[in-house]
Amino acid sequence: MTRLPTFDDIFAVMSAASVGINAARVAVPEDPPLDDLATRFAIAVNLLLDDLAFRAAEAEAAHQVTQTELERMVAERTLELARANQELEAFSYSVAHDLRAPLRSIDGFSQMLLEDYADKLDAEGKGYLQQVRGSAQQMGRLIDDLLMLSRVTRSELRHKRVDLTALARSVLARLQKNEPERRAELVVSDGLVADGDAGLLGIVLENLLGNAWKFTGRCPMARIEFGARHEQGRPVFFVRDNGAGFDMAYADKLFGVFQRLHSAAEFEGTGIGLATVQRIIQRHGGRVWVEGEVGRGATFFFTLNEEAQ
Amino acid sequence: MIDDKVILLVEDNPADERLTLRALGKNNIGNEVVVARDGVEALDYLFARGNHAGRDSTVLPAVVLLDLNLPKVNGIEVLQQIRANERTKLLPVIILTSSDEDKDRLAGYISGCNSYVQKPVNFNQFADAVRQLGLYWLILNKPPPQTGR
Repeated sequence: MTRLPTFDDIFAVMSAASVGINAARVAVPEDPPLDDLATRFAIAVNLLLDDLAFRAAEAEAAHQVTQTELERMVAERTLELARANQELEAFSYSVAHDLRAPLRSIDGFSQMLLEDYADKLDAEGKGYLQQVRGSAQQMGRLIDDLLMLSRVTRSELRHKRVDLTALARSVLARLQKNEPERRAELVVSDGLVADGDAGLLGIVLENLLGNAWKFTGRCPMARIEFGARHEQGRPVFFVRDNGAGFDMAYADKLFGVFQRLHSAAEFEGTGIGLATVQRIIQRHGGRVWVEGEVGRGATFFFTLNEEAQ
Repeated sequence: MIDDKVILLVEDNPADERLTLRALGKNNIGNEVVVARDGVEALDYLFARGNHAGRDSTVLPAVVLLDLNLPKVNGIEVLQQIRANERTKLLPVIILTSSDEDKDRLAGYISGCNSYVQKPVNFNQFADAVRQLGLYWLILNKPPPQTGR
């Protein structure tokens, strides 16, 4: 090209560059005369656009490095997490096998002593052995509950629409069937549904309703209710009982593992159930909390999928 | 004629072995119980080799009670070898173990166990489980016909 650039050419290139046509440059002949104003402007604009292009390329390269770095970090963390989960699974597995066998032995041989040496043991001696058996069996229940807690943490969530009304009714039916002599008012609202893992939500209801059943054991007019109230367009489920209740001062301890607010003499249990409930609710993106009063019962509230609303 | 039915108990834990034998005895299950203390011994017995060479290999136990956690060759591997062999592939095998982990149950059934029973910690429950196993597998259940007679 032999023609010298004009201000129109410069304006055209700058317009093109401003809409993202980054390769646009003003055509300038070789060995241009530097006393022509438009030519000098054209050269300046070209230099500016080259410089801008260069900086853009550098920024992109830097961004790419950060991207790669981030991806590497994510991959690394995911691997670490997978390994930790694997270790936890192996640990739980060991617990299942290796802790249960000696307990069985303790329980079994105590029983054998009671049977084979009954005539050589007085009532007190027999009582000691029953204590040994009782402790072994309690430890067995602790192991079962701890394993459940660990499983609940590790397992994959299978989401679907869960009929909580039906689930609660079947849990309560089973509790009643196991203790047919107990009379209790059992109230379950119709139409309670939620999105979540049916198995895990079943465990939540078994624990909460089972607790309500247990702690109303001494109540002449026991009443257990499962329902929902609506807050800000979102359901808040609750399990309410009029049983033994507890002191609100210790409310936050309730969900800790092994935490119990009643002695074993008052109510049996392992103190793991509520920790399990909390873990499941958290995995469903919800919250669980409780209100209660000594001698007046307790109400456990929980939400699910708070983000999704 | 249930008395000539042999039970093969594959169990490495001596305490569990003792408790199982006692539970069987308590329930008047008087059948001969052969105890193998690891996977290799169990297979040697079934295939009449190693320490059990010379045994009549056409005579198989009526039922195998198989623990999963065994030294050397584990329970699942023993089961797989039992199912892989023409002579023993129909043998009733009951997994009797401490674990109720999903992966063990899955592995057990995939490898072809006939039944999976968790050993309870409570001895009375354990004895009751053994009683039920004995009643079912030795009396009610009909094992496959013995071959090679």
